[in-house]
Amino acid sequence: MTSGTETSADAVRFEHVGLVLGENRILDDVCAHVPRGKFTAVVGPNGAGKTTLTLAILGQIRHTGKILFPGLDEAGQSPRFGFVPQRLVFDRDIPMTVMDYLLSGIQRMPLFLGRSRRHAERVMQYLDEVECTRLADHAFGALSGGEIQRVLLAQALLQEPDILILDEPTSGVDFKGGQICCELLRRVREKRGFTQIMISHDLATVTAHADHVICLNRKVFGEGEPRVALTHQVLSETFGLHLGLPDLHGIPRDVRECPEDCPLRHEHEHLHDHCHVDGPEHGCACGHHDHGHGKETGHAE
Amino acid sequence: MLNELILHISDLITVFFPLDCMEPEFMRRAMLGLLLIAPLAALSGVQVVNSRMSFFSDAIGHSAFAGVAAGLIFSIPVEFSMPALALVIGLLIMYLRRGSHLSTDTVIGIIFSAVVALGLAIVSRNREASRGVNMFLYGDILTIGDDEIALLAVLLVAFLVFQFFAWNRMLHISVNEQIAGVHRIKVSVYQYLFAALLSLVVILCVRAVGVLLVTAILIVPAATARNFARNSRQLFFFSLIFSYVSCAGGLLISAQRWAGVPAGAAIVLLACSLFAVSFAAARIRPK
Repeated sequence: MTSGTETSADAVRFEHVGLVLGENRILDDVCAHVPRGKFTAVVGPNGAGKTTLTLAILGQIRHTGKILFPGLDEAGQSPRFGFVPQRLVFDRDIPMTVMDYLLSGIQRMPLFLGRSRRHAERVMQYLDEVECTRLADHAFGALSGGEIQRVLLAQALLQEPDILILDEPTSGVDFKGGQICCELLRRVREKRGFTQIMISHDLATVTAHADHVICLNRKVFGEGEPRVALTHQVLSETFGLHLGLPDLHGIPRDVRECPEDCPLRHEHEHLHDHCHVDGPEHGCACGHHDHGHGKETGHAE
Repeated sequence: MLNELILHISDLITVFFPLDCMEPEFMRRAMLGLLLIAPLAALSGVQVVNSRMSFFSDAIGHSAFAGVAAGLIFSIPVEFSMPALALVIGLLIMYLRRGSHLSTDTVIGIIFSAVVALGLAIVSRNREASRGVNMFLYGDILTIGDDEIALLAVLLVAFLVFQFFAWNRMLHISVNEQIAGVHRIKVSVYQYLFAALLSLVVILCVRAVGVLLVTAILIVPAATARNFARNSRQLFFFSLIFSYVSCAGGLLISAQRWAGVPAGAAIVLLACSLFAVSFAAARIRPK
């Protein structure tokens, strides 16, 4: 483990964070760090304290130990957060368009007096980033689960966050798959430069996309670059009975990592852009993983 | 001076409602009171429906009994004791709701029961109070006084200022409190302010339609507006329109010889009729 060793390169540092609810110890001496400007995934089984840890970061729950924000703490500032919950339960009958909802978080002038052109243009810009401009005047309550997640992502990005926290954004929703979600987030992150913390159950997605992983089950059992940190021992300790995963170390991070002898190497380079856009379940013909890699986890990045 | 001002304004009512039934001064005052109540009820109703707080407003309405009782015990005018107690109850409910693990329904249910029981206990021991209870049970807008009209006007100004700054944020909070909080909206400030203003609105609306119907005058115009509105702006204006039509129309209907019903009942019946029509229209022509 490398907790506490980084300094200015960290956006968040957990120092002996603990939390007890009733008689249950939810978090126990959690020490870890979140690299600045990178994608950190928090993985662990149900009840591992992942969501509690994010609530602690957001300052919405009392805990022991320290959660530090290097660079901001010294200046007496707190980070700007963007937050996308796992599932939004709300009154779907509220007469409100997607634009109304997004403006309600940033516009001072009351919506009954109209929309500020400046803010509306900003909203459209962020909707464009999550590929949802067509939804601007749709009823918010009539959207599908996946569309709501995209709108919530736009809402979070509108905050121009230092740290974007996503609580299993791909679970149970039609978000064109976790791969597309992560790819979209990567593009936005590279453009905006925020730190991304995502809770996830999907180890294959984490391995393919995350820069850093924290394995949590009340305690931190391991952290670091996924291909290094996600050893069989760490996974077994974190998840208890480990039922066997694909060989995570063999997943290519990029098409350029194709073996020299891969017969479709050149074709991959051509097809890979399509993979990014449409995803494997949308008719991508790339045979990447059947040639030379032989892994069962689907596309890597 | 206040009396003259209200007299002058109520004279203007006849310009907009040139009807025989508007000739008596008490009718013009009643209409003036309702024209002040209508926007208060409509806009707070929108947020009551969005935030599912109808039980909250019901509890505040029922605190009128305890408010009357408190006025008698401490020998203070009920015009003061009722809003004061409503304010305390409203803020207490919000405090318990935010600060305890009890569900909102349970918190309100307990306080609701306590204030009604307290009111009934005291009122049953005091004949003078029991005579006044009917007025709060059914409402009596026709006897509204100058002080109450002035209080409504002040509350309307305060409420509109609040709506100007809080309409968007309240909408955001009603979708998800947690997201709103993370995105730097001061959720507790908005909720406490709204609870305080709503408590005052409810208790003053009790004057118009009574304890039994006070929740209806808030939520029915807002619910009707929901059937037509496609966005937040339309919701605002439609709820105002339906509230004005219900309040003014209800008073006019109650003044007709053929009707012979109290103003409160007529207002709520008209509001519910408009809701029924809007509901049918929305079913025929989906939004």
